[in-house]
Amino acid sequence: MTDREVDQQLVERVQRGDKLAFDLLVSKYQRRLGRLISRFVRDPAEAEDVTQDAFIKAYRALPGFRGESAFYTWLYRIGINTAKNHLLASKRRAPTSTPLDTEEAETYEDIGLLHEVSTPENELMSKQVVDVVQASLQQLPEDLRSALTLREIEGLSYEEIAVVMNCPIGTVRSRIFRAREAVAENLRPLLETGKDKRW
Amino acid sequence: MKQEISSLMDGELFEDEAEGLLDRIKHDSSSLMDWEMYHLIGDVLRQPEHIHCDLSARVRKRMQDEPVILAPRGRAVKQKVRAFALSAAASLLAVGMVVWMSLQISPEAAPQIAMQQTANRPVNLQIQSNSNEYLMAHQEFSPSTEMNGGASYIHTVSYGTDEK
Repeated sequence: MTDREVDQQLVERVQRGDKLAFDLLVSKYQRRLGRLISRFVRDPAEAEDVTQDAFIKAYRALPGFRGESAFYTWLYRIGINTAKNHLLASKRRAPTSTPLDTEEAETYEDIGLLHEVSTPENELMSKQVVDVVQASLQQLPEDLRSALTLREIEGLSYEEIAVVMNCPIGTVRSRIFRAREAVAENLRPLLETGKDKRW
Repeated sequence: MKQEISSLMDGELFEDEAEGLLDRIKHDSSSLMDWEMYHLIGDVLRQPEHIHCDLSARVRKRMQDEPVILAPRGRAVKQKVRAFALSAAASLLAVGMVVWMSLQISPEAAPQIAMQQTANRPVNLQIQSNSNEYLMAHQEFSPSTEMNGGASYIHTVSYGTDEK
């Protein structure tokens, strides 16, 4: 079952009245959608509100989602429209002179356009999370680090990773899981301290 | 179970395994945490410069005011049912037509019709010579032939029947 099929499975569950399934989609896409929206809405607090609005709009629109496109492209389109409507409503201009379409916005790499102002507490927490993940990655044995990097950063399938690393697919599966779990072990104490602000 | 979650988010589980696992994740808070944590790790690795706090709790709170969606059964399913019903109806109609026609044409009537056609035939063959030439010249454009454009390369041979 591909990633897209997992999304479709969750969407169909929501369409059958399963609200909890929508939680899993929110967990999965919240940062990617937030990153996209922050390219239009500069203020981080506003961007977070718009991201929430976009999810609620997506939930309301889900009965009409027919699965002809991938869920995430549909969600990103809603996110962009919500951000633009927000800017229009607050009578402000979008940060870029040319409109970005969904794919451009998603792959846009100019971090200079991002507005990374946050509350000091959030900013610190964010930095700590990033530091812990990166430090944990560096501490991993080479084979685990390579497997996780090939999967998460390069986006390779298990089959492709097996070819690159010259090992069975089952070994790839195990290495990626062990790598994730090792990083998660280091993250848990940090995240448990901020219970009101889960990450 | 954690390893299954890891495989699920990579799209590397079979459908039946994935369906069962999704049910378990929804109803088990520690599995839900693992799902969120693994996604956070992936997001940090891909975009470390844009990590914000978890919005899912806030979205979940707002979702409490939202009505439960009960969308009509998937349109894809409806379309499949409709297509099946249409093809079944067409098949039934075709079978009905064949049966009806076979009942209408009795075995005794068939030779009479055949004889009647034979009797009419000379009348149909009385084609004027000028229209015959016209048809010969333009037959390559006839949609009934499967040799469009090829007819011009075919030589026709005729002979007179009334020579004595």
